[in-house]
Amino acid sequence: MKRTFAELGFPGRLIAVEGLDGSGKSTQVHLLKKWLEQQGCKVFFSEWNSSALVKSATSKGKKQNLLTPTTFSLIHATDFADRYERQLVPLLRAGYVVLCDRYIFTAFARDVVRGCPPDWVRGVYSFAALPDITFFFRADLEVSLARILDNRPVLKHHEAGMDMNLSTDPYESFRIFQGRIFEQYLAMSTEFGFTLVDANARIEEQQGLVRKLVQARIGIDRYSHGRPD
Amino acid sequence: MPARSRTAARTKSRRPDTSALESAVVVPSPSAKRFFGRGIPGEEVAKLNGKLIVVEGADGSGRSTQISRLVQWLEGTGHATLQVGLKRSTLVSEELEQAQHGNILSRTTLSLFYATDFADQMENAILPALRAGFMVLADRYIYTLMARDLVRGMDEAWLKNLYGIALVPDAVFYLDVRPEQLVQRVFAKNQALDYWESGMDLGLSRDMFDSFLKYQALMRDSFRRLQKTYAFSIVDGERPASEVSDELKEKIEAVLEGR
Repeated sequence: MKRTFAELGFPGRLIAVEGLDGSGKSTQVHLLKKWLEQQGCKVFFSEWNSSALVKSATSKGKKQNLLTPTTFSLIHATDFADRYERQLVPLLRAGYVVLCDRYIFTAFARDVVRGCPPDWVRGVYSFAALPDITFFFRADLEVSLARILDNRPVLKHHEAGMDMNLSTDPYESFRIFQGRIFEQYLAMSTEFGFTLVDANARIEEQQGLVRKLVQARIGIDRYSHGRPD
Repeated sequence: MPARSRTAARTKSRRPDTSALESAVVVPSPSAKRFFGRGIPGEEVAKLNGKLIVVEGADGSGRSTQISRLVQWLEGTGHATLQVGLKRSTLVSEELEQAQHGNILSRTTLSLFYATDFADQMENAILPALRAGFMVLADRYIYTLMARDLVRGMDEAWLKNLYGIALVPDAVFYLDVRPEQLVQRVFAKNQALDYWESGMDLGLSRDMFDSFLKYQALMRDSFRRLQKTYAFSIVDGERPASEVSDELKEKIEAVLEGR
C-alpha cells in the first residue's frame, strides 16, 4: 500500500494540485504559495516541467513522432523520477512544504487514456510517496475547455491528443482527450482521497477553502524558517 | 570466408537429414510468444513469426564474438537477422550517453531512462523485425538491466512490473565468466577498466581494480538469482569461442525446429 510523506516520517509535507488545463489550479497554487511565504514557511514550488537532459529526448521524440504510449509514459516517468529524487525528496527531508502543480495522478490519467494498462503505470510510479494533500480542482468540462480554447491557441500534437487519432481537427481532438482525462480523474478521486475544490466558484472562495484546509490538515507553524521542530 | 565454410561443414555433419540438399533452408517452427507482463498496448503476439535470441554476459564475456558467429551461421543457413543491443535507441541513446558521462542521474531516473531506451527498441526494432520473420539477436536484454538495478538496491517487484513490456525471448544465453578471468580479458582488449563496468558509482572500493572484481562478482550473483526466476541457459564462457558457439548453435537449432 502506498503511503504519504507524513506516514513515511518525512519532516516536510507535499501538497499536489491536479485538474484539467483551464481549471484554474495554477492560479490557486500560486496564491497558496504567496500565503505560505508570508507566514514565514519554508516553501518550494515545483512545476511539471523537464530537466534539460530529458527535455532534449522528449522534444526530439515529439518532433519526430517517435513516441508510442509506452515510451511517452516512460520518458515522462524518467523526468518525474529525476525531479523526485534530486529535488522533492531532499526538500521534504529538509522540512519544506513542497507545492506540486501536477503530480503522479496527471501521468496516471494521461497514460491510461493513451492505452497503457493502469496497474503497469501505477507500478512504474510506485517509487513515489503519495501527497499529504491532493487538491482536485473540479470545473465543468465545458468551462475548462472554453478557458483554453477561446483564444484559439496553437495546440501541440501530444497536448491535443492527436497521437490517438481521435479526430483530425486538433480542437475537437483536444475536447475528446480532455473529456477522457476528466473521467480518469473522477475515477481516481475516491481511491486516492482527493480533496475536491469546486473550480466553478470564485477565486477568493476557492483560495479561502484551500488555506483553511492546509492549516487544518498539516498546520503551518511547524514549517517556519529558523524554528526547529 | 573460411569461418563460414567451417560452420557450414559442422552444421551439415550434425544434420544428416538435410545434407543431401545443399540449398535446403529450414523454415523455423512457429512458437507461442508472450510478454512478461502486460506487454505493449495493442500488440498481437500471434503475428510475431521470427525468433528472439538473447546473449547476456559482462563486457569481455565474448558476447559480440558469439553474436557475430551466430549471424554468420544463421544468414548462411538462410535466415534473415537483426542485431539489437542496449543504448541504441533513436529516442534516448544520446541523452543516456551524456547522463552516464556526467553521472548526474540518480538510480531510479537512470533505470527508467534505460527502460525508455529498451521500450523504444522493443517497439521500433524488435517487434517489427519479428513480425517480418527475422531472427533477432539481442546483445543484452532486460536481464542485464535488472541485474544492474538489483545490485544497486532497486526493488525486484518494481523491476518486474516495469519490464512487463518485454517479450519473452525464444532463447537466452548467459555467458558466465569469473571476474578474475574477465578482468584479464578486458585488459587484453582495452588496457583500461570502464567506470560503470567497474561499478565505481557504488563506492565498493576506491581502487578501480578491486571495485571491478567486487562489482562483477555481485553482477554474477545477481544473474544467478535471476536465472532461478527466468530459467535462462548459463553457458560456460571460459571455454574457447568455437566450443561456446557450438553449444549455442545446438540450442538454437532446437528452437528453430520447435523442440
